[in-house]
Amino acid sequence: MSERIAIAMSGGVDSSVAAALLKQEGHSLIGVTLKLQECHDAHGSRSCCGVDGITRAREVAGLLGFPHYVLDCVKDFADLVLAPAWREYAGGRTPSPCLLCNERVKFGILLAWAEGLGIPRVATGHYARLERSDAGRPALLRGRDGAKDQSYFLAGLSPAQLERALFPVGHLCKPEVRALARQHSLPSAETPESQDACLVEPGQSFAEMLRKRFDAPARSGQIVDEDGHLVGQHDGIHVFTIGQRKGLPAGATARRWVRSISKESGQVTITSRADELVGSEFFAKQVNWLDGELPVQARPCSVQIRYRHPSAPATIVAEPDGSLRVTLQTPVKAITPGQAAVFYDGDRTLGRGWITLGQHV
Amino acid sequence: MIYADHNATTPVDPEVRAAMAVALEDSFGNASSLHQAGQEARRLVERARAQVANLIGAQPDEIIFTSGGTEADNLAVLGAARAAGRERTGVVTSAIEHQAVLAPCKCLQEDGHPVTFLPVDREGRVELGALADAAKPDVALFSVMLANNETGTIQPVAEVVKAAAACGALVHTDAVQAAGKLPIDAKSLPVALLSLSSHKIHGPKGAGALFVRRGTCLSPLVLGGRQERTLRPGTENVPAIVGFGKACELAGARLVADARRLALLRDRFEAQILARVVGARVNGGQARLANTSNIDFHGLDGEAIAINLDMLGMAVSNGAACSAADHAPSHVLLAMGQSETEARSAVRFSFGRDNSDEDIERAAELVVRATTLLRKVRS
Repeated sequence: MSERIAIAMSGGVDSSVAAALLKQEGHSLIGVTLKLQECHDAHGSRSCCGVDGITRAREVAGLLGFPHYVLDCVKDFADLVLAPAWREYAGGRTPSPCLLCNERVKFGILLAWAEGLGIPRVATGHYARLERSDAGRPALLRGRDGAKDQSYFLAGLSPAQLERALFPVGHLCKPEVRALARQHSLPSAETPESQDACLVEPGQSFAEMLRKRFDAPARSGQIVDEDGHLVGQHDGIHVFTIGQRKGLPAGATARRWVRSISKESGQVTITSRADELVGSEFFAKQVNWLDGELPVQARPCSVQIRYRHPSAPATIVAEPDGSLRVTLQTPVKAITPGQAAVFYDGDRTLGRGWITLGQHV
Repeated sequence: MIYADHNATTPVDPEVRAAMAVALEDSFGNASSLHQAGQEARRLVERARAQVANLIGAQPDEIIFTSGGTEADNLAVLGAARAAGRERTGVVTSAIEHQAVLAPCKCLQEDGHPVTFLPVDREGRVELGALADAAKPDVALFSVMLANNETGTIQPVAEVVKAAAACGALVHTDAVQAAGKLPIDAKSLPVALLSLSSHKIHGPKGAGALFVRRGTCLSPLVLGGRQERTLRPGTENVPAIVGFGKACELAGARLVADARRLALLRDRFEAQILARVVGARVNGGQARLANTSNIDFHGLDGEAIAINLDMLGMAVSNGAACSAADHAPSHVLLAMGQSETEARSAVRFSFGRDNSDEDIERAAELVVRATTLLRKVRS
């Protein structure tokens, strides 16, 4: 059946092909590109949100024969994604801004905007699948292409948001998407991967870019080794993340990693002992749960603790405060506070929470 | 599609297209060359210059061709301010000018020129009291548009001329929207500078002109050859200039009849909207361009209406086309004392000679449909 659908278009190949597929199915489409930063900020960057992306998205919409509009989200993006991301870095944690962007901007601001136009659905070019059972509650599944799967980034969407979402390329593999783009002669067929590009500027760390943007002070301090010996000074805890190897002072041993970051003392502890980096328990707070009631009895599942993590077997159980206690079957490296933990049952997404090491945060 | 965004741009008239095709095919010469190919191009440029001059009651040698309205406005504001003496550094403009005037004025302000932005009343008309106060002996230039692009409100440029004469300043008027819709006569409206644009009057894009009254001192912005009396060097864009000239000739010939017909269509459109859409209100007072309806749809988002109308097959605008990727509410409506919410609920309808009686009926129908849909979503 033909539906009215707003397709979020970055100008990249995935959302362009998603649009082509929906168009082919006979839906009534409007293309929307979210403007996330000011043009002068985006100048020269090949970001998916810059003017180049808008131009290419409009070209694709024109080619496929549907209208395209630009939705100015500069202020919303700063308030809802960038500012919280900076608060995480400032607290010695590592944020997951892509999840926030999906939860609050693409399926927040954009969804509401489409609703205002009388358009019930929003589609994106994410590699994830939705399975709609008769019961009504949609299941969020991993994308067919294991290497491209983006269900991790979408696991914070509520059932109500998923109800209105469409991911037309989720059942395809990247090479198939590129082939379809060529078949449809889409100008974005050969564009480079744009994922995460919204936030990264050439030659600059995301954390440092945020600090400058919000004109915030850096929390400088000492770098100490596992035995408490001073090995150097640093200019700000925000540029460190758990498990990081690059950018540490050179020492006698070649391999050293960041083990912990203290916001209070500004101290960054590094270690040369890989076994010190592993952990087998953490908590997931502010849980978005997609599988009915939170498990009150230990429930086996698999957990993914960052985007590029193959996921590990674990058991989870709900705490009285609504967070989840996560116990990994085998210890894993670099459990990083601030990152999203996403839970799966096979291919099916069960939910997401934010990683914290202490229970009460 | 019903095209109701003529203040953004207009379709090229078939006669203009034909004249341009001939120029493209037969007259490729450089109008500055000595040979006959060049002479032919020169002849076309000069004929166009006479056609443009004729539309506004000027002499051909008072017309400087530019790349468009924006460049004409820039040349007028920056050129006049820079050519004025040290004792005259002031510039007076209005809060509702097009960005092509506002931006160079702000640039002058940053360079240390005292710049006054005249306020407007609730109907969008420049306040005469403030105009009188601004007329000081250090003012080099007054720049007030003939009619506003967003509301169509006609501005008291004759009063500006009087105020400027009292303090010995020059007057520039941006007539980009007024040309072809209001009779303009440089003899009875003694401004020194007046901007025109080709594509707003069914000519091609990429051509415009600045009327520079004889004896007016102006500094060029572009330096190079001796074209356009050295005020605008660069090889002439002959086909566009030819099209612009033809468009001026047609606009002049049709002006009275077109304006009368468009006023009837517009009034009928407004009557229908006001009768059928609850809370609708027309912005900009009575003295407006015959083709422009800026309507406030109370409680609705103008951008959402414009997008819905686009999807229904009707082209309109929320604010000026130049700020399409910019979510800021209209500076014109804000200057008229409207709140941000009010300013965001406005839609501009601008009709043109290609709109038929049936278009108007259908346009009103589509507006009713789009606004009804949006109200339903809201409730």
